[in-house]
Amino acid sequence: MQAILEQLEAKRQQALLGGGEKRIAAQHKKGKLTARERLTLLLDPGSFEEWDMFKEHRCTDFGMDAEHVPGDGVVTGYGTIHGRLVFVFSQDFTVYGGSLSEAHAEKICKIMDQAMKVGAPVIGLNDSGGARIQEGVASLGGYAEVFQRNVLASGVIPQISLIMGPCAGGAVYSPAMTDFIFMVKDTSYMFVTGPDVVKTVTHEEVTAEELGGAVTHTTKSGVADAAFENDIEALLQLRRFFDFLPLNNREKAPVRTTQDDPERRDDSLDTLVPENPNQPYDMKELIVKVVDEGDFFELQPDYAKNIIIGFGRINGQTVGVVANQPMVLAGCLDIKSSIKAARFVRFCDAFHIPIVTFVDVPGFLPGTAQEYGGIIKHGAKLLFAYAEATVPKVTVITRKAYGGAYDVMASKHLRGDVNLAWPTAEIAVMGPKGAVEIIFRSEKNDPERIAAREAEYKAKFANPFVAAHRGFIDDVIMPHATRARISRALAMLETKVLENPWRKHNTMPL
Amino acid sequence: MFRKILIANRGEIACRVIKTARKMGIQTVAVYSEADARALHVEMADEAVCIGPAPARDSYLRAEKILEACRKTGAEAVHPGYGFLSENEAFAELLEANGIVFIGPKPAAIAAMGDKIASKKLAQQAGVNTIPGYTDPVASADAAVAIAREIGYPVMIKASAGGGGKGLRVARNDDECREGFESCRNEARNAFGDDRVFIEKFVEEPRHIEIQVLGDAHGNIVYLFERECSIQRRHQKVVEEAPSPFVTPEMRRAMGEQAVALARAVGYQSAGTVEFVVGKDRSFYFLEMNTRLQVEHPVTEMITGLDLVEQMIRVAAGEPLSMRQEDLAIRGWAIECRINAEDPFRGFLPSTGRLVTFQPPEEVPGAVRVDTGVYEGGEISMHYDSMIAKLITHGATRDEAIARMQEALDGFVIRGIASNIPFQAALMQHPRFRAGRLTTAFIAEEFPDGFSADAVPHEDPLLLKLICAALTYREEARAGGMRPGRPAGAWYEVAASQNAAARGTLRPYAAPRQYVVFDERDEARRAEAVKAGEDPRAATYGTSAEVEALTPNRYAVRSGERSVEIDFDPNWRFGLIRLTVTVADEKLVLQVEREGAWYRVHHRGSQLRALVLPAHAAPLYAHMPVKEAPDLSKYLLSPMPGLLREVAVAVGQAVKAGERLVVIEAMKMENILRAERDGVVKAIHAAPGASLAVDEIILEFE
Repeated sequence: MQAILEQLEAKRQQALLGGGEKRIAAQHKKGKLTARERLTLLLDPGSFEEWDMFKEHRCTDFGMDAEHVPGDGVVTGYGTIHGRLVFVFSQDFTVYGGSLSEAHAEKICKIMDQAMKVGAPVIGLNDSGGARIQEGVASLGGYAEVFQRNVLASGVIPQISLIMGPCAGGAVYSPAMTDFIFMVKDTSYMFVTGPDVVKTVTHEEVTAEELGGAVTHTTKSGVADAAFENDIEALLQLRRFFDFLPLNNREKAPVRTTQDDPERRDDSLDTLVPENPNQPYDMKELIVKVVDEGDFFELQPDYAKNIIIGFGRINGQTVGVVANQPMVLAGCLDIKSSIKAARFVRFCDAFHIPIVTFVDVPGFLPGTAQEYGGIIKHGAKLLFAYAEATVPKVTVITRKAYGGAYDVMASKHLRGDVNLAWPTAEIAVMGPKGAVEIIFRSEKNDPERIAAREAEYKAKFANPFVAAHRGFIDDVIMPHATRARISRALAMLETKVLENPWRKHNTMPL
Repeated sequence: MFRKILIANRGEIACRVIKTARKMGIQTVAVYSEADARALHVEMADEAVCIGPAPARDSYLRAEKILEACRKTGAEAVHPGYGFLSENEAFAELLEANGIVFIGPKPAAIAAMGDKIASKKLAQQAGVNTIPGYTDPVASADAAVAIAREIGYPVMIKASAGGGGKGLRVARNDDECREGFESCRNEARNAFGDDRVFIEKFVEEPRHIEIQVLGDAHGNIVYLFERECSIQRRHQKVVEEAPSPFVTPEMRRAMGEQAVALARAVGYQSAGTVEFVVGKDRSFYFLEMNTRLQVEHPVTEMITGLDLVEQMIRVAAGEPLSMRQEDLAIRGWAIECRINAEDPFRGFLPSTGRLVTFQPPEEVPGAVRVDTGVYEGGEISMHYDSMIAKLITHGATRDEAIARMQEALDGFVIRGIASNIPFQAALMQHPRFRAGRLTTAFIAEEFPDGFSADAVPHEDPLLLKLICAALTYREEARAGGMRPGRPAGAWYEVAASQNAAARGTLRPYAAPRQYVVFDERDEARRAEAVKAGEDPRAATYGTSAEVEALTPNRYAVRSGERSVEIDFDPNWRFGLIRLTVTVADEKLVLQVEREGAWYRVHHRGSQLRALVLPAHAAPLYAHMPVKEAPDLSKYLLSPMPGLLREVAVAVGQAVKAGERLVVIEAMKMENILRAERDGVVKAIHAAPGASLAVDEIILEFE
């Protein structure tokens, strides 16, 4: 017994050291924390229950049989964040560069399977050089086992990836299939093929940072949802983010008490929309002034900025916010923004998070780039996502809601529950100028008459009333009452029941 | 008394006049430009008339439009406020000729005083002390130089029709004289439509002290004591107070009597101000007379208890003054801080845009007064003056007035645009200001390199950090108390399945009580270590803090030897920027915001960024990479939104430090950006006529 205990202690000490002090020092030197240090920041103190600390790889080739590190390059288990259950894995770059062996993958699969059984989220802290080459196809099999679980868990439990080091090759596809990807600036990167291969194949010279750093993925590719300054800030912010989410698809998000009055009136919103319909304004101001305490966790803030997505709370309850941003591309929908918002809407729908949509959209972005890029199918994604969503949907039209884009943005016709409009709303097929040029084509060369027609069209359609007459808008509200009206709508919708017809799954235009 | 008056002005002064008119039971008419359709004065007035497009010369300076508005609304009198047409005799005459009362002095008095050259002569005749100078308009830059040499440098170049700091230049040599003459004349032509310019001796180390006078139509004239307005930035008043810490009772009386003599000489009837420049030997010289209500009139109101607008209206209606000189006395001390939409950290450049947050401190009768013409959600336009509010405090003593001002500034929340509040806070705690040792060069001398965050070190940064620790504890404690989500599913199934909710909290989370607070100084120290080639992890960083919640709003926080009890204002909640706490019976008004994982705290003009980590995580902080800010020194960035007027350099051109690079026009002012060091222009990224955003790249150097 005593011998066993001593052996246990020795093994534990070895496991805690991961790849050893030298490698830990090297990890620190890069400005990165170790797998275990990261977990102490992410989880509530003392809450971590580790599994498979003694698991080792089974590889015997290339001298691997002589080298065993307990834990095999990944720390797994469960713990709590602000008292709420979460399963975690944290790859240990100090052990074989965090490379994924069969055993390493089995550890990840084990906690994923358990998370699915009990209905709790999985957070992965990725810091891995890739496959354990020595293991060959066994490692590849390990990846695929994880991929399969990512897919089965999708929409059942929230899955979050935080990239804190390299994540390259096939390894990227596990985070890619999770719900959110966060990255650490300067110390993390993701790509399918690295700079060396890129250079050989396409003769492009590019650094790892340029190819797949946090800035690239939060501004150019849209792969990552947010980037943070360093490990500490990333993990602290992840705790904050976690508080917005439910644990699984059978329960709703937790409620955070607030002293922020749900009926709080904000008169400054009455002047948010400028007099000139072509002048932009910052939609974020509206979001921040409507949600509890101005606490809005924006996702993809630097990508497809013409649409804003993120989580906030109203009266303590999490809501997903989707809003057109008139400051960028006049708030037009395009390929990137449609995909960005569609994915978010589907996440909210999967996890019972009500969707609040703020609309100021002049239409879809025209042009060959958009058409050749397939805006038809990509734009349809957002339409599809809104239309299939059965969660409470509250929509506020602040200004423009033109054409097909009006339909898309959680309109009444797509089963919007409560559709409100500000007095500045213009719900129409298109702007007055374009409309008049089509309807009165014959008068095109008579600027005076065209101007008169424009004024006529404007008087008739550049207001919320035509839509309200038909019941497409439930009410016209004062901007200052927006929070109160959304809050009441959400309270009313708390027990909403709506089911889509039975099917194996839909065939959304991917 | 009038039934209805029109206010030919905008902004805070229009609002202030409307308030008094309402109190007197007089109906009010506002006029506004197209840019001001949503302005506060339009909202406050009983009626409002649009008088033209945004530029003042097309709206607020159009006398006939205002006359038309009077006719349309039946206004019997016009209060002109300050600026615009307030000292325009033609306007006063036009109104008079049309049977409308001008609430101000008679046209003749405006004419006599409005022309600075004529007024100086008149003052001399009335026995008022004057300073040497050349009293005819100067024809050319060459003439200006000749005259300046005759008087002796330094000289002041002034636009005849100027005022409020516009159309004023000081020259210390021939080059500055030439440049000053040209720009002064241009500005005067654009702003006032009158390009006459004159030159006088510039008195160094002067104080600006002015006497408020009040006269009626029956020959009664009193003086309402002095205001000291020495705290000026580029001849723009920044802080005003009454009384002056420099003026003795004898001096007050002498200055007052001279002011009254001058007013009498021009038959002055209304409120007016006689400005003096005061030397350190307590000699005083007449500068000019402002025949209008001054921006800083509230400090006089606070110490005399009079409402100057009311007095002006009564005088205009023909009533005699209700007070005599011997009835008047100074009560306590009053200070005014002008709150401007300008960025003190960017060379005080104007800041325009939407006022996303505007929460002035609470008004307290007799102690704190806020005069403003803007509101949260309003727009600060580039067309008008950058002053958006005046903060006035009163106390039994100067110290008490200053203390109240400090607290009021701490609580003044402005977001969306930059404001000079941090600078005002720095002035209020400046030892020389506290001692009352003022001159008009105060700001130039005390802030020779402009204003930076380093200029206002906080006297107790530790306390701010401890407050951040308490805030973090409060946040964490709340996060631990989240209610698990309701089971999802149809409402008719929910009651049957409570198990999910029961499991929601696996293990109750108790907020940590031990924290370590890091701030930017820690970051700076790490960066210095890296620069010196040392291992930044060798040192220890941060301040420990142990938090204990005594009651829901009271926290005991310990850090080493220091132990404080912090009481949060029970009305505060997360998300409110203004946070009032009480520490050891002392009230602190802070502004606190979250920036990602960090807090940003504003207090007494200084800022603190703090990162609060639970103690168990704190040792890891040292491993975080030290990041250098991107090098922008090779770029000339636009410090403000505005119009690029002129690019004075070409690609490939070598420039010397101080050389003029570009001119940006914003808020009616031309702002010259100069080279900070020698260099060669590599590229020009913006063309003249372009409208620039803040931080937009204009030029690139090699």
